[in-house]
Parts: sequence; structure tokens; C-alpha cells
Amino acid sequence: MKKAMRSESFTAWAFMAPGLLFLAVFTFWPIIYGIPLSLTDYSVITETNYVGLSNFTRAFQDHNFMISLWNSLVYVLVVPVIQIVSILMAILVNSRIPGVKMFRAAYYIPVVTSMVAVALIWSWLLGNNGVVNYLLMQAGIISEQVSWLSTSSTALYVLMFITMWKGLGYYMMLYLAGLQGIPADLYEAARVDGAGPLKLIVHVTIPLLRPHILFCTLISVMGAIRVFDEVYILTKGGPGTSTLTSSVYIFQKGLEQFNFGYASALGLIVSVLVGALSVLVFRLNRKGGVNSY
Amino acid sequence: MNLTSVSTKRIQKVTRYLITYILLILLALFMMGPFLWLLSVSLMPGRNVFASPPAILPTFIDFDNYVQVWQFMEFPRYISNTVIITLLGVVFNIVLSCLTAYPLATFRFKGRNLVFTLLISTMIIPSATAMIVHYLTIQAFHLGNSYLGVVLPAAVSVFNIFLMRQTFLGVPMDIRDSGKMDGASEFRIFIQLVMPLVKPGIAVIGLLEVMAFWNNFLWPIVVLDDPQKYPLAAALTYLNGQFSYNFGWIAAGTMISVLPIIIVFLFTQRYYMEGIAGAIKG
Repeated sequence: MKKAMRSESFTAWAFMAPGLLFLAVFTFWPIIYGIPLSLTDYSVITETNYVGLSNFTRAFQDHNFMISLWNSLVYVLVVPVIQIVSILMAILVNSRIPGVKMFRAAYYIPVVTSMVAVALIWSWLLGNNGVVNYLLMQAGIISEQVSWLSTSSTALYVLMFITMWKGLGYYMMLYLAGLQGIPADLYEAARVDGAGPLKLIVHVTIPLLRPHILFCTLISVMGAIRVFDEVYILTKGGPGTSTLTSSVYIFQKGLEQFNFGYASALGLIVSVLVGALSVLVFRLNRKGGVNSY
Repeated sequence: MNLTSVSTKRIQKVTRYLITYILLILLALFMMGPFLWLLSVSLMPGRNVFASPPAILPTFIDFDNYVQVWQFMEFPRYISNTVIITLLGVVFNIVLSCLTAYPLATFRFKGRNLVFTLLISTMIIPSATAMIVHYLTIQAFHLGNSYLGVVLPAAVSVFNIFLMRQTFLGVPMDIRDSGKMDGASEFRIFIQLVMPLVKPGIAVIGLLEVMAFWNNFLWPIVVLDDPQKYPLAAALTYLNGQFSYNFGWIAAGTMISVLPIIIVFLFTQRYYMEGIAGAIKG
């Protein structure tokens, strides 16, 4: 028996070896290697020196980095909006009426499309002579054209809007899966007790969706802090530093200016921040009395 | 009495349907509107586009933009680049995640929990520095400017491993025992008996990765020095920089890059959506 177990163990590791090798090189190694790298001034061009914690002290005095952290935190405000809108969407597409599957697919199309295409489309729609300005002016909401993406006060929020728009379908599907797991007789029972549609949502749907809300909140918080593609394509952090998010700043320092050491230190700081936020999301949810995850 | 209650019920049902459809259509306009507008712009000759008020619906339909941008952009090259990268990525992901997930689902061995903990921890620890280290690693392997360099960092993902493990758990274990009885090796059991039973899971991973690799633009730009090797999404940013004056062309180019993936999605959405939904249950 023991021998059988040992041979099974050998086979198991043999099976897993290629996959684990790749994970080791491309998933574990970057996490580990980032730490020693952050203690050096590695930059390809000059000789590498050990610089201790100076990258970290520099980071906390780096005005632009602080702005980028703040912008990333502002970006997280997109998370609650995504949850509310996508839960409402999921409730809507959970209706059993003909053709509803077609609508589900339609809402999902932004998710499967490349961010490059999505960003290009929105940059045109939001341009000075674009459709958005035209429609808003026709509706009397704005009186003159707004340069949505090149005005410091609007650019970040516009990017957040685009992120939300692209992601809604994804979260809708996750919530839809949750909704379909709720037994119908729970609704029946609540209806018999005289609950209206709003009460059904508040007292039946939301509590039973809690595990899904936790999961979706977690991945969208991480996504919001890591946000890169849409910012990089549309504004590169500008105008000024108004949309400089932490990922964009790390990318600039690392892969544009080749300050690998400094960029790694910034990456570590952001990682700790994301870790802390994830724990916070978990804690907040635990308080609600759900520990199914 | 009875008759009126039946008819009010019917009216209620009809209004509920009506309201639901109105909401569904409004939402569809919001989600699909930008794509439909892009399609409309791509079918108009360029001079219409900057008109004020902006052209929203095409006054006539014309495929000139498509023909011209196709001739100018060497689309076949970019499409074949994308196909190569996508195929490589999909094959790597399917092979590696199946091999890794199978023992995690079916074998009892020492270190199983350790592997599990390691895998889960990568999902919690975010790696903002990953791209920088990936860049250094790819350079160290001398894989810069190669398709392998594009594909390898995403050759296997923890997400896919979990998804496949979930699928393998659904395979009855008698199969493995009966295979052993007949004297087949573990590997033969895996390939000939187990793998055919997890085709739906493989399809889901395949689809997810087709989407991911098809749409990837940043990493290819970082790794590939030669724009001739760019995949479509990366080439699109290039197109936008070069022809920003010729709006109709870019619109047509964007449509060409987007259509294949939307078509793949529409034909496979059932499996795809089930896979996404199933992933969080595991």
C-alpha cells in the first residue's frame, strides 16, 4: 500500500512538472525576484548596485507616485458602481422571456472585444465633434463641447466609465449564475408574505448573492488598482498627471525609462496595498455575517 | 369576476413584458451602440465623418474603406501573426493546465496541499512587478522578438488549472481503476480514457484563451521589436497613430480586428458563459 502511494506520488509530480515549471518561472519567480530587485538600482545601462531601502524612501517622496496612488484609489470608486449596475442587469436578463439570451450575448460583446478597439471607439465618440457631445448638447445637458479626455477634471472619470462599460457584461454573467442558483420557492415564500419586487431584491436576492458580491468586489478592486490598458491607450496618464494610475507610472519607470529597481519597489508597495484592500473587502463582508467563502 | 381577474392578469403580464423589453433594448443600445456606430462609420466614405452634426447613420453603404485599408495594412500578415500567437497560447494552456490539474483532482500524494496553497496564494498576491520580471526573464532566455516570448509568460494560468481540476473531479474514478486493471499506464489512462471525458472543460479553456491571446496588445509590443510581427490588436494602435486623419480606414480596420472574435463568441457563447459562471463555483 505504501509503495503504491509512493509511486502514485511520483506519477503525480511527473504530471504536474511541466505546468509547475512554467508557473515557477512566470508566476512565482516574478513575485519573489521583485523583492531583491527593489533593493538595487538595476537599470540595464549602468552597473547594478545594492541600494538598500533607498528606492522605498524615494518612492514616498516621489510626488508623482503619490498622485498615481491617489488616482488608483479614486479609480476604486468604480467598484461599487459596477456591482450595482451589473446586479440590476443580471436581474433584468434573468427574466424568462423570449429572446433574452440574445440580449445577454449583446451585453457581453464589449467583454470579448479587445481593449484597443474599445478604447479607440470611445475616444472617437468622446471627441470634440463626437457623438457624445452632440447628443448631450441636443439634450440640453451641456451648453458647449467638452474635451472629455483632455480635460484634467473629467479624464479620470471618463476612463472609469469606459472600464465599467467594458466590464459590465462579465460581472452580469457572474451575478446571473448566482441568481440562477437561488431556489424559486424562496421568492414564492416571500411573495406570499406580501413582499413587493423591491423587498424581494433587498431581502432575498442581495443576501443570497453575498458570496458572488464578495468575489466580484474582490476581482474588481484588484482590476481597478491594476488598470492599465485603457489609461495607457487613451491618455498615457495625462493631461498632466490627472489620469496617472500606479500601473501606468510603474510601467513608465520600468519599461519606458528602464529603472527596473525603482519600478520593482513601486510594484511591491502597490502589491501590499492591493493585499491590504483585499483583506479589507473580506473583513467588511465577514461583518455581514457570511463566511461561506 | 373570474373573467375580469383573468384579463387583468393578462394585462399585467403584457405590461411586465413590455417594460422588460424596453429596458432590455435601452441597455442594448448602451452596450452595443458604440459598435453599431463604428460599423456605420466604417461603411461611410471618409468625408462624411467629420461633418457637423456628426454622422451617426450612413447615408449610403460602401465598402471602400474596407478595401482600401485591407490593401494598405497588410492585414493577412497581422491576422496570421495573431493566429500563430493565439494557437500557441491555446495549445500551451490546454496541455499544461490539464496535466497539472489531473493529479490535483484524482491522485492522493504528499505535497498536494502544498501545491494547492501555492496556487491559491498567487491569486491573492497581485504581481504588479510581474511584467518587468517577465521582460528580464524573456531577455535572459533570448526569446525577445519571438512569438514564444509573447506566449510563454501566459502559457499556463492558475485560473485554468482550477477550472480543469473542477472538470476532472466530475469524472468517475472507476475509469482509472478499470484502466489499471487492464494494465494501462497512468499516462495512457489519462490520454485515452480520461481526456475524452473532459472535452467541455477543454473547450472552455480554449475559448477563454482564444479571447485573451487574440486581444492581447501590450505584452506583444513590449516583447516584439519588429512591428511586422505584431498581432492585430497591437497593429491597430499602430494604425491609429499613422492614419489618424483617415477615420474611415481606422474604423474599418477596427471592425476587421473585432469581427472574428465576436463571431467566435457568438457561435460558442453557451459554453463560454457556462465556463465563466462555473469558474466561481469551484
